[in-house]
Formats: sequence, structure tokens, C-alpha cells
Amino acid sequence: MDIKTEVLIIGGGATGTGIARDLSLRAIPCVLVEKGDLASGASGRNHGLLHSGARYAVSDPEAARECISENRILRRIAGHCIEETGGLFISLSEDSPQFRERFLMACEEAGIPTALYSRDQALELEPELNPDLLSAVKVPDGAINPFELVRANAKDAERHGAKLLFHTGITSLLIDQNQVRGGLALDLLSGEDYKIEASFVVNATGAWVNQVLKLAGLRIDMALSKGSMLITNQRLNQRVINRCRPASDGDIVVPNETVSILGTTSVRSEEVEDFEVTPPEVSLLLTEASRMIPAIRGARLIRAYAGIRPLFQSGGTGGDRQISRSFALIDHGERDGLKNLMTITGGKLITYRLMAERTSDLICRKMGVDVSCSTHLKPLPVVAESLRPKDRLQKIAPGGEVLCDCELVRREELEEILETMQFRDIRDILHRTRLAKGTCQGGFCVYRLLGLLHESGLVKESPNKVLKAFLEERWKGIRPILWGGALKEEELIESIYKGIFNLKDSVEFGVGSSE
Amino acid sequence: MHFDLIVIGMGLSGLMAAKTASESGSKVLILGKGMGALCLFSNTIDLLETLPKGMKLDEGLSQWIKDHPQHPYSKVGAKIVEEALTSFTSLFPLPYSFVSAGDGNSLLPTGAGTLRPTYLIPTTMVAGASVREQGGLIVGFKGFKDFYPDYAATLLGCRSLTLPPFRTFHEEITAAGLARSMEKESFREEIGREIRREMGNETRVGFPAVLGVRDPWGVKKGLEETIGAEVFEIPILPPSIPGMRIFNRFKEWLVQRGVTVLLGHSVSKAILRGRRCEGIRVSNPPLSSFYSADRYILSTGRFVGGGLVANEEKIYEPIFDLPVSQPRSREEWFRKSFFSNLSHPVHQAGILTDSSLRPVDDKGERVLENVWIAGSILAGHDSTNEKSREGVEIATGYMAAKCAMKK
Repeated sequence: MDIKTEVLIIGGGATGTGIARDLSLRAIPCVLVEKGDLASGASGRNHGLLHSGARYAVSDPEAARECISENRILRRIAGHCIEETGGLFISLSEDSPQFRERFLMACEEAGIPTALYSRDQALELEPELNPDLLSAVKVPDGAINPFELVRANAKDAERHGAKLLFHTGITSLLIDQNQVRGGLALDLLSGEDYKIEASFVVNATGAWVNQVLKLAGLRIDMALSKGSMLITNQRLNQRVINRCRPASDGDIVVPNETVSILGTTSVRSEEVEDFEVTPPEVSLLLTEASRMIPAIRGARLIRAYAGIRPLFQSGGTGGDRQISRSFALIDHGERDGLKNLMTITGGKLITYRLMAERTSDLICRKMGVDVSCSTHLKPLPVVAESLRPKDRLQKIAPGGEVLCDCELVRREELEEILETMQFRDIRDILHRTRLAKGTCQGGFCVYRLLGLLHESGLVKESPNKVLKAFLEERWKGIRPILWGGALKEEELIESIYKGIFNLKDSVEFGVGSSE
Repeated sequence: MHFDLIVIGMGLSGLMAAKTASESGSKVLILGKGMGALCLFSNTIDLLETLPKGMKLDEGLSQWIKDHPQHPYSKVGAKIVEEALTSFTSLFPLPYSFVSAGDGNSLLPTGAGTLRPTYLIPTTMVAGASVREQGGLIVGFKGFKDFYPDYAATLLGCRSLTLPPFRTFHEEITAAGLARSMEKESFREEIGREIRREMGNETRVGFPAVLGVRDPWGVKKGLEETIGAEVFEIPILPPSIPGMRIFNRFKEWLVQRGVTVLLGHSVSKAILRGRRCEGIRVSNPPLSSFYSADRYILSTGRFVGGGLVANEEKIYEPIFDLPVSQPRSREEWFRKSFFSNLSHPVHQAGILTDSSLRPVDDKGERVLENVWIAGSILAGHDSTNEKSREGVEIATGYMAAKCAMKK
């Protein structure tokens, strides 16, 4: 099934789906390929922060201005993915008062509205804050659901004619003289390969950009910076809490639905899939975050995870915290003499739309088409109704089956999803529901999910193979936080699967489930 | 109140200890905050996975003891392990009793369609041991989320049947709810007829292990009459109904024997003088009581039971603050792979004892004179991976009581 299109987009994160939406709104045909599922890279591995830009105001004013401008746009077009929590930058006794003054001035210059609160005012708003704080600066930070955002972009793109192919990799680029003409695609689940002919190829693969560029014998300078995060099983703060000091490890706690997310570290990495959270990182995050919110010390953690920041190095030295969070759009025709190939990388989740706009503008110029961007004007569609716990509870009918007890996911909810999508991999379900996102992290409900999938004839191989692969993957997020209540729960889970069910030996996650 | 012996913890090891001490004529108090891991995991009586099929219990166990001098079985000795198992099985006379297949392990089907080696099996599960060879019909209930007959049956080479929802259920269907329904004759007849209609040439029918709490044998027989085929139970996700049967039987027996049984009570503090325990404070809000005894047995389990607690730095024992043998740092508690072939080192952590099961420190010095340790809290074993959970509990519970009541 060879495909012909105008633009081939590689990468199904926020940027890739953003470009697909932007182009298709301009009526330019495009095909997006993603080797995993939606948002499986950095777009799905971050702390879900709707940046106000304040974090970069002092060190990186350009990134700060981009952030606040996109922050306003996203509130307009993606309101259903956002919780407008507001944010505070709190100063503790060891934080320099001079920095706070510089911070306030820099925010003003970048156009970020602020208000200064006294200690008492701040504690009234956020009772769990460290009572030793000196002051807090209010900023328009918020919380965003990145999966919902990426799914909304994907849905809108498809609605306007874009074609999105998941679990599909690009194995080589079609190059004709000094011009790229598409790529060879491989369906990673079925093993089928086919040709995608395109006039333009956009590399929007985040940390993986050099793996794609390698197919053309090219390379750009990237710094891969691992950022680790921890999730608590309760929401300890209503607003985003930042530390008012130069960007550093453990300086933010983002509320997200029913949990709080502690972030982040910055560790230079050579591997694009280095997602291991080390014990020193866990200790550091806990120590720093509990300076801001002391109750974090006693909180039950449910998971640790990490993402790779794809930072583009335009030269210069200094630590990864100093590399600009602004993005880079590289025209490989100009840079390397390979026409119609471009790479978009760097940036932040919050600037994905702007990155997509600039990339689409460049393609339009090359095509000689004069249609302007409209992604900042048209609201994104609602993909899945996002239910608060209370609403989920009310949906449970008498005699109904709640498969995931932690997050109240019903059997009917899963059956509805299975009807509307072409099921290919268990992760397709895990990315689309709250199943396995709660305290037990799927320890009970994934067995039940497999029971349901098996009944529906959707698991073609041994369900235990999928179950073991899931448990092994889950382990990566659990192992760093095993003490207290989490360890207790883990003993229970291990006793079930290795004990009662006698499951043994490890297998790799992500083995296809359809023929 | 003063007792000869106080047993702290009401899992299988504590219950065994209380039974054993009471048989020697002692005045015993047993207290626990819950029913222990017994009602989570114990469907059958595991002894040791490496006990090869057909190998006599004493041969296999003696070899294991030789190879693992620090293991709780080595403190007890093969002879006492066998004695303890006999004492356990004496509580369960026919028809609902525990049996072994020719002194070795049997392979029983599980809710995940796997086969699992185990030593003593309740008579309601025996027919499952040959399901792989002889086939059968695996039955589940629509709306019961903890068992998927199709999942298990496919892997076991059986046929499956999901029974439609019955009028009996208005709320979520749980294992305990199903077990209660199973005890009603009308319910058994209703499902029995349905199954009979769907029967092919199968001669046996497997159910999730929910065939009643009080009279599982009666439930099995009742179903067999209606269906016209042999019926067996398959262990599933917790809670364990077969575990509850064991708990109830012990409790009934202990109460009859005059043992004081306090469920829902946890020890808030042990009062020590030198190397002796003088008493315990028990909190049962809003009340707090004091109990004392000449001797104490600690059988509070591991992390799930609360016998061991882990904070970010270390593992400790909360009641007596006994020394806990453990890896040097938290980084070493767990291996990188969940399904590692080697057991996670944290499972070997626990209380070290001398040969009489009294707690010692890392130099082997006895820490307390009138406290004995029993059950999964003991260092040097990994009950899940060795499949030794119930065996260790029964053997050390029995042995601790024997040692404590000696003089």
C-alpha cells in the first residue's frame, strides 16, 4: 500500500501532531508516522506544566516570551486540556532576595503578569507550604494534560484529511540527487513495509532527531538531558509551586488532577531511551520538594519516571540548564544541501503550536502557497470527556464492573474505547484511559484488562506474555520509590503474580498483539 | 490480665503457635490487627517448590536444609516440619481436608492458566491436578472481575463458560459474595442446570475458588449432583476464600479450647526490662489495655502484615525494635528486573534467631530472653519464590511454641 502525499511528518508527539493539524487546516495533504503510540516520547514524559514562562524570564527572555504568548493561546484553544491553577514562585530564607527582584523585573519585561504575596497570604492559599517561606510571586502557570492535548491535535488533523500511522517506523529516506522524496515505512506490529512518497519530509522526533538524520548521513548537535519526576498519590497543592531561585533540580511541584508531580532533575544522557530514575535523583527530588511542601516527606509515592529533553545546541558552553529552551527549525537544504528535509527540535511542550506554525510556514513558502496559519484561532476538539473522580463514581451502575479500583475505570468505558479504535497493543488502552494510573499502578487491573481483551479475542498470543511484559515495564517506575506503603503494596503484587499465578522469567514489552 | 503466652499476630504462624501452646495446657492470648496474609495468598499449603515430583518430603527437605543452613527450615529440622504439618492437618478431618499427592508436589491450575507446584491441597482442588491431561470445562461469572474463564481455559487446553448475571446480585460481584451465594442450594441448582446444558464430553468442571466458606465440600457435592460431573476449585486473585476457611477453623478451635482471641487489636508498645518483655500495650481506640505473660511469640508477618516496616533508609521491626538483617542500602533491596531469576534481596531481610527461634543480633548474641519469633518475619527465606509460605509459617509457629513452652 504505497502512499503519495505532500508532506511526510516523522514523530507523533505534540510537535508532529501539531504540524499535521496545522498543514491539514491549510489543506496541505500530509502523512504522519510514529514508531510508538501518540506522545510516547517527551510529550508524554513531562510534568504536565502549562508554563507561564516565568521560569525562563531571568535566564532566557526569548523562551519566556514564547511561553507566555503560547500560554494565552492554549488557554483559548485547548481549555479542556488545561486546569487554570495559577502558580507561585516561593522564596525561602536561603533564597536570595536580589534574585526575586530580578525575577519580578524580568517577568515584567517578558510580559508575564505577577503579583507579590506576603507569607501569610501565600499560606492562606496553599496551607501545605513551608511556613518558613518569606514571600511568593503569583504567575499564570497552570496544569495541562499532555496526552489529551496530543490526542486533540491528532483528531483535528485526521478530521481535516491528515493520515496518522502508529507503530510505524521510517527505515530509510528516499533521496533523489540532492532532494528528499519521502521514506520507506515499516509497520512494526505486522512487519509490512511500504513506500511513502512526499515532496517534503519533516523530522519532528524530539530526542530521536539524529536517528532519522542518520538515514541521510546527517547530524546536528543535540544535548540530551534526562529529567526525572516523582508522583504522589494525593494532591498536596492547588497551584503550581516553584522555587524562586535560578533554575535547579527539584524546584517545582505541579498539581495534576488527583496527584502532585515533583520535578525535575537534569542529567546529561547519551541514550535517547535512558528512562531510569536513580536513587540519588529520588533523594534529591524529595529533599528539595519537601523544602517547599514539607508534607511531601510523608506522602505515598506511586511512581518515578523520566523524560529526555531534546536540547538543541547552537554553540556555546555551560550546563544543560543554560541551553536555551527556545526551539530550532533547521532547513537541511540550506544547511546541508539536502533539499525539502527539515528538522524541528528543542522547545517545550507549551510552544509546540508555535513550532508547528513556523514549520508549516516554511513548507508553504517552499511550495509557493499563500495560506496563513489558523491553529491559534480554532479551538481543539474534545477527544475524551475528562471526568473528575466524583463524576466517574456516579457513572458506576449497580452490578457494574469497575476494573480499575484506584481510578474507577469501568468495563463499559474500555469496551467503548475498543469499539472506536483499532486495537493493536495494550499500550493503546493504557494511553487512553486512567486504568493503571492510580496507587497500585495496574497491579490488579491489568490482569483484568487482559481478561477482557482475551474474551474479545484481541490477544492473539499468550495473555501471560503481555502481562509479564507489562509488569516488567511497570517495575521501572516502581522500583525507585519502594519503601513505606509502596513497598507493602509491592510485596502484595509480587506475591500475586509470582506466588499465586507462578509467573516467571522476563519478556520484553511491546510485542504486537495482532497478526 | 496475665497469660502463660501471648502470641502477637494472627496469621498462619501465630495461629499454629497458639494451637500448639494451648495443646500443652498453657493459658494463651492471641491478638492480631487482621487475618494476616492467610486470607490473601493461602489457597493451598506450599512447602517447597524444589521438592521434585515423586520425591519423598523428608528427602527433598533434608537436601534443602543441608544447602541452606540459615533457612527457617534448618532451624526447625525436617522431623519437626513433618510433625508440624501433621498437627496442622489434624485440624481438618475429612471430607474437607488437606492431602498430598504421593508425598511430593502437585501441579494445580491457577487463575492465570498456569500450573503451580504446591504440597498440601484441600480436597476441593484435587481434581484440578490432572486438568491439563484430562481436560475440563472452566466456569466463570459475568461481572466477576477477578476471574476470566476464557483466559485460563485457553492456556490449560480446556473449554470455558461464562455464566450470565444472576438475579441474586445487585451490587458488585466479589469472591466473598459469590462464596455466600454458593452456600445457597437454590443458587447452586440455578447455575448447575445452566452448566449442565453447556456440558460437552467433559468429565470435570473447574470453578474459581469460591465454593463457600463454611461447607465447601457440601457445595462441591451439591454442584456435582446437579451438573453430573466432578467439580474442583482454582486459586485466583486475593482475597483467598480457602485462606478464610483455614482462619475460621483455627479460630473456632482456639475459642473452643479456651484460648483468648482478640481480633482487630494491634500492639502499640512492648514494655521491656533488660532482656525481658514485661507486657504489651494494646490499642483498640478509644481504649488502651495492658496484657502481660511469661513468654511472647512475635508472628506479625512482613511488610503486608506490618511486622516489618521500611522507611527511605532502612527496614525496622516496630514492636520490639529488634535488629533486622537487611542489605546495606536501599539501592540493593530490589534487582533491576522484576522477573529476575534471582530473588530480590529485600525478601531475605528479617529477624535473625538462634536455633530455638529467639531473636539475636548480627553477632549472634541473644537480644531478648522471653520472646520467640515465628513466620514470614524470619530472615533467610523468600516464601514467594521458594513457594514455602505456609510450610515456613506452620513449621516455625509450631516450633516457636514448643520452644517457648519447654521449661
